Amino acid sequence: MLILNADPVFEDRALAILDENGELDIQVVRNLSEAVSALIGENFDGLIIEGEARLALEQATNVRQHFPSLTIACLLYDRRGSEIEAIAREQNIELLSMTRSHRRLQGSLKRFVQSLDSNAGTAAEGIDPCHSLIGNLNQFSAAEILQMSCLSQRSGRFTFKSGRGNSEIYLQQGAVRHAIFGSLEGEAAVAEIFRWRQGRFYFEEGIISQEQTVNRPWAHLLIDNLQKLDETLELVSV
Amino acid sequence: MRDKVLETKLRLVSLQLENWKKLHDLITYGLDKAKPIISSEQERQFTEIRSNLLQETEYILRELNIVAEVSGKAMSVLQRGVSVRGVRDLTSDEIRRLETDWNAAFTRLGLMQGQLKARRRELAEQSVFDYYWSQLRNRYFRRPATAH
Repeated sequence: MLILNADPVFEDRALAILDENGELDIQVVRNLSEAVSALIGENFDGLIIEGEARLALEQATNVRQHFPSLTIACLLYDRRGSEIEAIAREQNIELLSMTRSHRRLQGSLKRFVQSLDSNAGTAAEGIDPCHSLIGNLNQFSAAEILQMSCLSQRSGRFTFKSGRGNSEIYLQQGAVRHAIFGSLEGEAAVAEIFRWRQGRFYFEEGIISQEQTVNRPWAHLLIDNLQKLDETLELVSV
Repeated sequence: MRDKVLETKLRLVSLQLENWKKLHDLITYGLDKAKPIISSEQERQFTEIRSNLLQETEYILRELNIVAEVSGKAMSVLQRGVSVRGVRDLTSDEIRRLETDWNAAFTRLGLMQGQLKARRRELAEQSVFDYYWSQLRNRYFRRPATAH
């Protein structure tokens, strides 16, 4: 779990509660650029942004643009308006309130952590020796692997397995035909997988999807996603 | 079992060490004559880290019970290092002093972090019952000191 808290020494009520959970690994960062830098490392199931409602939501919306599948919650120090709630709903960001009651705050944080447990997928094993390409995303990024397969006009199914869950990308004659990751489909799923830096993958030759959710050529997807990745990296250097 | 106070101390010492490391990176950059350009972004980061340290150091050191040992040295570093450019303009004696004081503060905090982690590991191996039993045993059944 990653926590963005600008003042973790003096505003530490939530941190103290989360500390009580021995099974939870917590990393605390103080600004958005550090948060994005940590998230690129991809070890986090969830992000909690603490702060004033407007600023916290702005930061969360910013993170959401770059990490579409991340579970994000804003822990708000002040009252939330209906406008804030509407934006949060639209961006799929959970709103938690920094209530005076310790027990209530403990309850809402506990619920949020439990929701992460239920979302987290485990990297399933079971790689078949007849898979034509097997590897680790630490050495090759998903973009590099897809680029190589598309250039060689492959048809088949890529399966990517990481702590975040499993995803599949179907290729047909060197073009991406269909992609799925959790509830994301098509280009959104490709964009998500593009950022993965941890996990494993394998390719099964000849498996073609009946469904088609991606209609653009691979080169366009590659350029768009590399641009998005650059934008994310720019946030780190700010 | 998990001790709340220990977890808080560990969190505080980790946050403090993180800031001392970042400060050191920028000081080292400032002192590196091979890198002539100091950007405004680096100066901004330096000021932010320095301001965090100024706000938090005294409080954290008091929580860790090492305020008397470390506070003077920590404040000396923060007073000497006013900016990345300022560090570059220090005399060699002042630089040596800055590095010595930084090292003293960092070493003490690092040691403290190690001790707290070791204590956490000990506690993790104990059940709640074991913990309170050992507390009781220490309180009521401690062997009296023998006079020599």
